[in-house]
Amino acid sequence: MFFIPGIVITVLTFPGVIVHEAGHLFFCRLFGLQVYNVCFFQFKNPAGYVVHENSDNFTAQFFVSMGPFISNTVLCVLFCTAAFLPVWELKIADPLAYFFYWLGISIGMHAFPSTTDLKHLWERAPALAKKGNLLAILSLPLAGILVVLNYGRIVWADLGYGILVGVLGPIAIFKALVR
Amino acid sequence: MRQVSCSRCKASFPLRSTLSLNEQTYCENCAPTIARESKETGQAAVFTRNIDGSLCALCGTENPSGSDFAFRKKLPFCEKCGPLVERWPYPVWLKLSLAGLVLLLAASLLHGRRYFHAGSEMYRGEGLVKQAKYAEAVPHLTEAVRIAPGSDKAVLLLAKAALKTGDVQTAAKALQGHEEGRFENGQDEDFLEMKALWDRATTAAKKANEAGKLALEGAKDVEAAKLFREAAAEYPESKEMTAAVPYFDEGAAFEQKDYDRFLALAQEVFAKKPNATNAATIASAWACKYAVSGNAHFKNEAEQFLLKAQQMPQSDTEETKQMEEYVPRIRHRIDSRQIITKQEYDKRFRSAEKGKK
Repeated sequence: MFFIPGIVITVLTFPGVIVHEAGHLFFCRLFGLQVYNVCFFQFKNPAGYVVHENSDNFTAQFFVSMGPFISNTVLCVLFCTAAFLPVWELKIADPLAYFFYWLGISIGMHAFPSTTDLKHLWERAPALAKKGNLLAILSLPLAGILVVLNYGRIVWADLGYGILVGVLGPIAIFKALVR
Repeated sequence: MRQVSCSRCKASFPLRSTLSLNEQTYCENCAPTIARESKETGQAAVFTRNIDGSLCALCGTENPSGSDFAFRKKLPFCEKCGPLVERWPYPVWLKLSLAGLVLLLAASLLHGRRYFHAGSEMYRGEGLVKQAKYAEAVPHLTEAVRIAPGSDKAVLLLAKAALKTGDVQTAAKALQGHEEGRFENGQDEDFLEMKALWDRATTAAKKANEAGKLALEGAKDVEAAKLFREAAAEYPESKEMTAAVPYFDEGAAFEQKDYDRFLALAQEVFAKKPNATNAATIASAWACKYAVSGNAHFKNEAEQFLLKAQQMPQSDTEETKQMEEYVPRIRHRIDSRQIITKQEYDKRFRSAEKGKK
């Protein structure tokens, strides 16, 4: 067994960190939340952050917290779709395809929201879900799963998620297109 | 910077470093004690941070006029920081990077066009193979393998589809073009299925080849027909092999002097494939029956089919050659009422001709 420090993986997958924080910033601006500090990448934990005001608006809170999860996942699927066939199915040694795959997986593995973001959602969602707020209803299981996956980062759940999305996403797209 | 006194220790502190609870002000040192005391009396202590309106909440700059900065939502910000927190700008490098990312995405999709084509052909072929539409699958999979000859999946699917339609050549070409026939997982179900098919096809091809050699040797047509039947049974997917069985049976019937069966087989073959050679075979069978019986009706049938065979267009030079070889032998059989094999005929008439030349 060998141990790879998390920071090494973070450095190797830095585009994902930047895209994640850019996603937070984008949604903060979209919902008019004040932003007090932004770090897109640094060589320590956390690798990036956006310090912003807390919102009373649950929709804003949901998108600021979950937005990067959605955007990173979508970008991961798109980049991996472009590279999936030569890398996995066609076995063509195309360096460009491997580059796109690395980019896709890097972005995908930094999709998970931070535990703090999830905590805020988790605190407010149950009461709103009882009132029938659809986003709150959706965020309950999602946040629950993501909290578990966040703990799973110790065993590379984030990398596993990136690879899973980068493989299953393109397969689903191709099967749907060919049908 | 505004100063206030702590309600507990009475010391003076900057306003922004203090906390409020129940309209009392506490310094950061006393606040934990107050919180503990509140907890002991069963009351929750929720402190709020005091805001010094004359200090910018972000950069800490003091308003030179001493008055409050404009509050944006709940916090005071200087003129420089106010717009910043309201609309934190995207750094130029980030904008450029995101533009680059979009360009890369477009480039990656454009770059992958060839692969999408190969992939869609492969998935289409895979779907058709699953529906057992092997002949329809072959062109799609051939296209996929043309672009990706190293793909285990595409090659295995093509080999399987081709072998299922009896097209050993296409399967062999695909397999040889793929790492010289080596595959990543030799225990893979698809690989094992293809291998079983391949083994059957090659065994059948060997037997068919041997049968062909025996048929050419002469006087071994029965043996050749038996072997060829085995080959066709081994690999029933080959329509060509199945279709060739009656030709070998014709040879066997001729060798066994069963001319009724010879004629029946020749007529059966002609009905399926009416060409000059097959018409000549019927003439040959009638000629055999005439030779052994002297029945003029048989002779008449032989003559009619021989004429018909000669009048029919010949598909290629190979058939022309076959007819040039076959017709004189049939003519000899009708004229002499002698049934001799090709080898005997060649020995008697053609070796002398060769000698003359």
